[in-house]
Amino acid sequence: MSSPTADPIPLAARPAATPAPFPPTWALKVIMALTGSLFVAFVLFHLAGNLKVYIGAEDFNHYAEWLRHLLNPLIPGSGFLWAFRAVMVGSLVLHVYSGITLWVRGRRSRGNHPRKFIARRLSSRTMFWTGLIVLCFIIFHILDLTMGKLVAADGFDPADPYSNLIHSFSRAPVAVFYGLTMALIAFHISHGIWSVINDLGGTGKRLRSVVFIVAGVVAVVVAIGNLSIPIAVQAGILAVS
Amino acid sequence: MRLILEVWRQASPQVQGHLEAYEIDDAREEMSLLELLDRLNHQLIEADQEPVAFESDCREGICGTCGVDIDGIPHGPEDNVPACGQHVRSFNDGDTVRIEPFRAAGFSVIRDLIVDRTGLDRIIQAGGTVAVDAGTATDADALLVTHEAAEAALDFAACIGCGACISACPNGAAYLFTGAKLQHLALMPHGKMERGRRARAMITQMEHEFGPCSQIGECALACPANVPLSAIATVNKERLRALLRRKDN
Ligand code: HEM
Ligand code: SF4
Ligand code: FES
Repeated sequence: MSSPTADPIPLAARPAATPAPFPPTWALKVIMALTGSLFVAFVLFHLAGNLKVYIGAEDFNHYAEWLRHLLNPLIPGSGFLWAFRAVMVGSLVLHVYSGITLWVRGRRSRGNHPRKFIARRLSSRTMFWTGLIVLCFIIFHILDLTMGKLVAADGFDPADPYSNLIHSFSRAPVAVFYGLTMALIAFHISHGIWSVINDLGGTGKRLRSVVFIVAGVVAVVVAIGNLSIPIAVQAGILAVS
Repeated sequence: MRLILEVWRQASPQVQGHLEAYEIDDAREEMSLLELLDRLNHQLIEADQEPVAFESDCREGICGTCGVDIDGIPHGPEDNVPACGQHVRSFNDGDTVRIEPFRAAGFSVIRDLIVDRTGLDRIIQAGGTVAVDAGTATDADALLVTHEAAEAALDFAACIGCGACISACPNGAAYLFTGAKLQHLALMPHGKMERGRRARAMITQMEHEFGPCSQIGECALACPANVPLSAIATVNKERLRALLRRKDN
């Protein structure tokens, strides 16, 4: 009994009716945070590329082409793009799986008396719903502008992403849907970034204040930046020359 | 002043509960919410009816025994004040006030406004205590704790274990409660010795009975002990630390 030693603390008897959830909630939250951060980084990167649309068709198409051959010749052909796509799809599956699992757990732990009083921001309460709509949007968006299938505008040309974009956004319902989704993504991102700092264990006062502000700024930048494009197309500022 | 109280009545865990309306004619502004319930119970006893069962002890915000949802808000309309410290002056003459037990799947109703909060005890049992052999008493100043660490530990040690954070949470999560205890002990010399093991045990136990945190922040508004919201981040911080460190401390 010389140096202080620690005896194991027995885990309290498990209430039989409530097995520990698997995968553990904390692990799912960390997965959400990592995949969510990846998406935020991608959305920002994507935004920067999208804004090239204002420089002109050539520049924009060049960016799309460059994206396809990133890291050549390290990885041949469009290898990087495919590796990147695999990571994104994998992350999306994990993000959606974790999000739905956590949502179900939350509903179950709440029981029969859902909380109606909402003191905090709407964004936090709507993560699941904004997420689901964003998921629909992602599918639509890929069909529309990457694959040129089903929902794409007439005359889709894989070699001319610029024209595809203009044609797609010239359709008013698409422009409106795109705009609304961008607003929802902004909501999702603003609460998402704030969640990340919590899920990765950021407890410092200054860190938390900074991240809170950054979350809002990123959300607004993404919303305004991306929203401007369908508006510019509808207003005729951007057009096929 | 006149108030209509809609109070949750439930005779036992096995039966369905329901809201029942009562009228109080002589409520006074300076009454606490618990005194309002006392008043109601006098009335009920005089009328030969069953009084409303509710819990209280210190009635000065230090014990964590009281706790009801007032119009769906844990403890009542004022932020960061326990039910025993909330006053009738928050309401207007003629108002209807709904009084329910704390709500969460982890809190089953025992009777009327009393819920089973032993789930919190099980989280503490899992590791919220200091179980190290500290040896014979050393000099008081042999173990230095900085002023900042002591102050910070006190902020989190302030938790009175009432459970309002869980009733406030749309997910029925116990992160504020668990994080407060983890953070408090992680700052103390003896608490530090079993930091990793404590995080694993308490968080596993918490997940048995309570929900996931979605960083909504309702808990910190309800908390009568003003536990900082950063406690919810402490939970994952301590768990990740234990994961990466792979040690007991
Ligand atoms: C552009 C795509 C997306 C981005 C940038 C994004 C970003 C984020 C971020 C950063 C978080 C916080 C993660 C954390 O808890 O630390 C988050 C949470 C969440 N995401 Fe997404 N997400 C996207 C798509 C989706 C989709 C498609 C869903 C479909 C269900 C979804 C559902 C959720 C849910 C439910 C949460 C909240 C989890 C919780 O805190 O309980 N997200 N998202
Ligand atoms: S953290 Fe606050 S609200 Fe939660 S149990 Fe402790 S004192 Fe009550
Ligand atoms: S009765 Fe002790 S805190 Fe309210």
